[in-house]
Amino acid sequence: MKSTQYSDKVLDHFKNPRNVGTLKGDDVSVGRVGNPVCGDLMEFYVKVKDDRIEDIKFKTFGCGSAIATASMITELAKGKTVEEAIRITRQDVANELDGLPPIKMHCSNLAADALRDALTKHQKKQGPTKEQTTDSTVPGEIKGLSDFLNKGVFTEVANFSDFANKRSMVIDKGERSMEIAIELTKQTPRVIFATKMKQLPATEIADKLKKSPVRVLYESEVLEISGLNTVEKVIIHDLNEDEKYELFVDSVIVPA
Amino acid sequence: MGIYLDYQSSKPVDRRVIDAMLPYFDEKFGNPSSLHHVGDVATEILEASRKTIGSFVGGKSDEIVFTSGATESNNLAITGYAMRNKNRGNHIVIAEIEHISIHNIAKYLEKNGFVVSKIPVDQFGLVTLEKLAERVNEKTILVSVGYANNEIGTIQNVAQIGAFCRERNIAFHTDAVAAEGLLLLDVEKDKIDLMTLSSNDLYGPKGLGVLYVRNGIRINPLTIGGGQERGLRSGTENIPAIAGMEKAVEIIQKEMPEETRRFQKFRDRVIKEVLGSIPKCYLNGHPTSRLPNNVHFRFDGIEGESLLLSFKEKNIAVSTGSACSSKTLEPSHTLIALGLLHEEAHGSLEVTFGRFNEDSDVDAFLDTLPAIVKRLRKLSPLYKEEV
Repeated sequence: MKSTQYSDKVLDHFKNPRNVGTLKGDDVSVGRVGNPVCGDLMEFYVKVKDDRIEDIKFKTFGCGSAIATASMITELAKGKTVEEAIRITRQDVANELDGLPPIKMHCSNLAADALRDALTKHQKKQGPTKEQTTDSTVPGEIKGLSDFLNKGVFTEVANFSDFANKRSMVIDKGERSMEIAIELTKQTPRVIFATKMKQLPATEIADKLKKSPVRVLYESEVLEISGLNTVEKVIIHDLNEDEKYELFVDSVIVPA
Repeated sequence: MGIYLDYQSSKPVDRRVIDAMLPYFDEKFGNPSSLHHVGDVATEILEASRKTIGSFVGGKSDEIVFTSGATESNNLAITGYAMRNKNRGNHIVIAEIEHISIHNIAKYLEKNGFVVSKIPVDQFGLVTLEKLAERVNEKTILVSVGYANNEIGTIQNVAQIGAFCRERNIAFHTDAVAAEGLLLLDVEKDKIDLMTLSSNDLYGPKGLGVLYVRNGIRINPLTIGGGQERGLRSGTENIPAIAGMEKAVEIIQKEMPEETRRFQKFRDRVIKEVLGSIPKCYLNGHPTSRLPNNVHFRFDGIEGESLLLSFKEKNIAVSTGSACSSKTLEPSHTLIALGLLHEEAHGSLEVTFGRFNEDSDVDAFLDTLPAIVKRLRKLSPLYKEEV
């Protein structure tokens, strides 16, 4: 079965997804699963009243079956008790949709996981609150940083035109790094700003950065810089998803 | 059939080509190896086709080897050359953005004692001489860089790479499948030693490919048998297809200038209108060094298979580099090599024009796209700000 050969039911949910959107309020729990790195991202908003799911909405970035499975599971979950809804499996969703191409089973897995995430959060809200531990890993030296110093790695930019048409990555070291990133967009269409933070501070420069063509990677740590003689790639650790991936770049700027 | 905007995946066989093939299924069914008059008729078209294709690429007829397709040609070129010349060195250089068949051939050779280096490309998909030079050493025997990329349409500086390799006595192979019929090929000017072509990409039948092998370049055959094709590719020749490819080349030679002008008009119109009207949309590939029929966009916050499915609803066939539409669930390695994040590679849309497209097809595409993008962005958690 080809990845795009879907059942009529899948196509129906893809074309007319049910319960798209978001919910707001204290009684709403949000579940989020997936990772653009592997392809899909799903968010579920669940409103529980008297232990039953009163309302549910979703948003998804993904393929046809990701959209269809998310839509389907909202129909399955609505009106069910939290315990019942937690037990919905990927197989249940696939069955309701008259099957999925085997290669797509991971997508419906995601829908069940995201819903479960929302419902577990709801349960936690009800139960005793547990103190969340924050990430306290000590930032180490980026591997390869010193090897490529001035061979693609720079601690300051004197001449911005040296970066003309170079894919440039700026590592967050505060305001100067934001200034550099913004300035670089005048030289090259590709500027990536990697920060370990979940969001940027509410400063004027950070605001300017967000509005600029700079692509900001949140919760991202550069682990390694590699290449033959000059910088060619970096390895990035997505702290949120705990996944590592490679990105081709020509230069890395780490302001001192 | 609806509207077809995916000519890089497959092309219909031109009616004139089919007519040229038909007699070779029954009336002229001979085997070129037979010495009688029935065999002679087959030999005649075999050699005529070889001659036409030879001159089409700027080479000689005895430098043309017929194969079963581009994948076989790539195998014969790279594995055949590597095996034959391994006493001179065990190092091969390919580009990161080569066709998957070349990446997998490279993997096979690595398991068989060869070392393969991959040249990273710049953000537009170009191989630079600097990066190539860094990777070449005294053990390098072969460099393989595609003439133009089938996904993003970037055209390489083939003449530069050819000259670089010739000076160092390194063989140069190029997969010209994406470029053939759209760009003038010249193995002399570009100093190409081995070149892969496919019949279908010229509106000929599938199941036939060509490997151009420069006289003096030695390769090992991969298919052993009765010694057809100078012993480089045994097996009775696929005469109807060979007759078809001859006709296909003849048509292309006449019609290419007009045809590519038309494609270019389509291409430039689509690029201009889409970039001008849809926010957070970008062109992948090179802005100017680009195949005349290729358009490749990416859209923030949207996944490519969903785009493709939405177009399918409207009976418009397009293509994507998204992981969700691939067998391996990996995003296109070409898009990743451009320096794109996975989520960006997922949001890609490829449109390739061809012989039977008309202005109305372009109109339909441009009319359909904005609403699809809008709808999918509305669904997307990655596209919150601008909704």
